[in-house]
Amino acid sequence: MARKRERSDIVLDMLLSIQEKGGRIKPTHLMYKANLAHKQMKTYLEELVEKNFVKKIKDNNYEYITITETGMKFVKTIRQMKEFEKTFGL
Amino acid sequence: MIELVYSPRWFYGKDIAIDLISIFVLSLIAFFSIKYYRLNRKNKKYIFLASSFIMMALSFMFKIITNFTIYYHVLETKQIGFVRLTYFSTQPSNILFFAGFLGYRILMLLGLYMLCSIYIKQSKANIILTAYLILALSYFSRSAYYIFHLTALILLVIITSKYLENYKKTKHSTNKWLFYSFATITASNIIFIFVKISAVLYVIAEIVQLIGYVGLLITFTKVLKDGKKKGKK
Repeated sequence: MARKRERSDIVLDMLLSIQEKGGRIKPTHLMYKANLAHKQMKTYLEELVEKNFVKKIKDNNYEYITITETGMKFVKTIRQMKEFEKTFGL
Repeated sequence: MIELVYSPRWFYGKDIAIDLISIFVLSLIAFFSIKYYRLNRKNKKYIFLASSFIMMALSFMFKIITNFTIYYHVLETKQIGFVRLTYFSTQPSNILFFAGFLGYRILMLLGLYMLCSIYIKQSKANIILTAYLILALSYFSRSAYYIFHLTALILLVIITSKYLENYKKTKHSTNKWLFYSFATITASNIIFIFVKISAVLYVIAEIVQLIGYVGLLITFTKVLKDGKKKGKK
């Protein structure tokens, strides 16, 4: 059975999804790419905006979510944390 | 009198430098482990890893303080008639000296035991009993120094075998490096057991220890580098 995703896994999945799309993504695409329910995504997104990891912008009447410099740094730290966890068997 | 100085005179100070490098590596990994724990407080293993590495770093600190008392404070000179006599005097009554060595042994064994406990689940009763035995063993091993290294060796063998298991599962290069580093540190402990035979063995053991901790530093830098490179898990 697949293990339940941890909070850090979800945040990482969301930020990586934005990064993979060139740093900008539509909210619905993010929801599918990060494999989240609508309510779940709203909660996480609010938190990410609050922490300045992502920004909401409007372009041609479409809403987009962009990753910030702080968000990029956070992705790097989380990746390193996962690598550390795997190496030391934590 | 209990023999406590195993290093040849020309190696004095160099072993302190090696221990300082070991402290640096252990503290660096402990610092990052605390940093990652702050990001994922659910995983208590981070805090156990940090605590065990801090204990080992402190243990080396105690060893350095003790070595200073030996190397730099007990070289005495006496004038007997026309003859001037310079000799090394290790004073068993020196509180700092014995507290230092005791602290070194206790912290090292407790640190290694804590690291073991991350990988082997134990009951609370078992943990209390083992901690007590470690404290007792640390105190009484002052007259049989090899017992301390033998105990450290057993703990290190358990830890290293866990890292080998982990490497076999993942086949990941950082896991391989971690296994080799701990295997080298384990090897240094084997040599430390026999330091009474020859002072050269002490030098070899310290150099092997240095290789082990440098390996650990390389492992850690690889972890940071690989983490930067990798895409989605």
